[in-house]
Amino acid sequence: MPFTLETLEKSVLQGEPDWLRERRQSALATYERLPMPSKTDEEWRRTDVSGFNPAEFSTLEHQNGLKLERPSGLPPGVILEPLRVAAKEHPDLVEPRLFALLRAGRDRFAALHAAFFTGGTFLYVPDGVEIDEPILGQHFSHEGNNSVLPHTLIVAGRGARFNYLDEYIAEDDAEAGYRSGSTEIFAGEGSQVGYVAVQKWGRHVWHFADQRAEVQKDAAVKMFNVTLGGRFSKNRVEASLVGQGAEAELKAIYFASGEQFFDFHTLQDHQVGNTRSDLLFKGALQDTARTVYAGLIKIEKHAARSDAYQANRNLVLSDEAMATSIPMLEIDNNDVRCTHGATVGPVDPDHMFYLRSRGIPEQTAKRMLIQGFFGAVLERIPFEQARNLVEAELESRIG
Amino acid sequence: MADFEIRDLKASVEGRQILKGVTLGINKGEVHAVMGPNGSGKSTLSHTLMGHPGYTVDGGEVTFKGKNVLELEPDERARLGMFLALQYPVVVPGISMTNFLRTALNAKRGYDGKDKSKQISPKEFRSMLKTELEVLHMDDSFLPRYINDGFSGGEKKRAEILQMAMLKPEIAILDETDSGLDIDSIKFVAEAVNRMRGPELGVLIITHYTRILEFIKPDFVHVLVDGKFVLDGGPEIADRLEKTGYSEWVKEEDSPKEVA
Repeated sequence: MPFTLETLEKSVLQGEPDWLRERRQSALATYERLPMPSKTDEEWRRTDVSGFNPAEFSTLEHQNGLKLERPSGLPPGVILEPLRVAAKEHPDLVEPRLFALLRAGRDRFAALHAAFFTGGTFLYVPDGVEIDEPILGQHFSHEGNNSVLPHTLIVAGRGARFNYLDEYIAEDDAEAGYRSGSTEIFAGEGSQVGYVAVQKWGRHVWHFADQRAEVQKDAAVKMFNVTLGGRFSKNRVEASLVGQGAEAELKAIYFASGEQFFDFHTLQDHQVGNTRSDLLFKGALQDTARTVYAGLIKIEKHAARSDAYQANRNLVLSDEAMATSIPMLEIDNNDVRCTHGATVGPVDPDHMFYLRSRGIPEQTAKRMLIQGFFGAVLERIPFEQARNLVEAELESRIG
Repeated sequence: MADFEIRDLKASVEGRQILKGVTLGINKGEVHAVMGPNGSGKSTLSHTLMGHPGYTVDGGEVTFKGKNVLELEPDERARLGMFLALQYPVVVPGISMTNFLRTALNAKRGYDGKDKSKQISPKEFRSMLKTELEVLHMDDSFLPRYINDGFSGGEKKRAEILQMAMLKPEIAILDETDSGLDIDSIKFVAEAVNRMRGPELGVLIITHYTRILEFIKPDFVHVLVDGKFVLDGGPEIADRLEKTGYSEWVKEEDSPKEVA
């Protein structure tokens, strides 16, 4: 059963409101119209999707794959629902925003995700509401050779403050399949949103995901991406700063081993002035893993007194692993402060020698140095629960 | 044969031979000083003895406890009982001093992550640390910090000696531990080293200047010039160098007396 209208009718559209049915059908038409990205597209030049045939995985696994952990005593007015439920019950909140930041027309995979997304979460936190405990959304894949395509939509009212964690979990690391896990965050004026996505899909799946935040005046969004799973992962992490005083922190860690391939494209889009963005992507690679990082800082014409920082650091642990890093700037205003940088390199031999000269065996020293490499950025994970989860996960993978 | 025996050691860095045949025996209980002008091969000697990968051994032997040290990895040398206090201790971001010290101690005890009985107990670790910190006039605020990160020159050197005190080596090489130190720090470091002196420890102090030798009295002094010892003797050699410098061997303004 391929990704066709028939599949859509049979396994997705049942019980969905008309506006969503139409939106899915239109995304499907976009998917059918758009070509497969090819190596002549700059964004896909180093990223080979020729081996990916979505039709192999067109069985959809959904709804029961989601587990939402509600903090006890959510303040009144907060809506935390599976996205498909919210689409029916709160169309006024969902309809104008769903796929407004992540447009289906961007490329074939964005369209496929928009047409067939299989559930996910809707979180709405009204004006002035603060939630201390983090909200956890866990997305499970239970079996292989299918598609799991969750979507998260987060809306923060004026002055709202909360933290949210999406965790993508494979029950069987060996399964093949097609996975996504995209997120749209609308951060209202003066809101503070912490968002962490931990991608632990199986080592043999194809993964395409986009996370994008729109940050209004004086709002602050901290996005933290952790990428560990997938044979292939293509992830865009983007923030648009659309109001004066808006701030975005975009941080990520990735650990690629075996034959894994990860591609990250990031965007810090300063649409107005007096905005701040701070990006740090840190990754370690071993075996024959490959990673590509391409990041763009875009400062638009009227965005004076913007401050943007971007860094990508790669620790390459074997001769066969390869990291490519491409930082880019596009600045249409002179009154800004922008710094960017990239490093790709092995473990510092002097660090290694120092640890070993104290009797620490090579493997232990190497593990400590990898943990140390991630250490400073782990501290930037916006809340403790996510920090503990990521530290434990990394520790088990570094081994 | 001495407890720690270096015989005709030759070593090079980036294809250039620096050590041209060094022979030296150190017994436990002895303190040896190796003095020499800049570029004589002092650091090459210390790094080669500890197995730094940037230094190539071209010939000679080093034996300790019946083992051919030159065939061992740096961590094996350390676990055998060797220690090197670095001239320039490196900053290692992301790893706390506490974690570093505890892991090193556990490695020395043979803990490999499995046999928990070999692990040092938190209580024992804390009490060891407390004692040694006091001797070195250090407070414990640096323990949660990353290795040498943001430490002053003096703090770095004291942290080296702290590691030595915790790991209790049988052969300790102090590579220019005195350079860049103010007089108080030299005294604290010397006090800590003197406290460790005894029949179970042999020390090799590598230095350009005679000053540290006023506080840690050597039993033997060796003068290294151009990769070879040109003079071996007792502590009186240090006094002689204090007056005449290395001018007998090199025509340089370089004096072993530090001009502050």
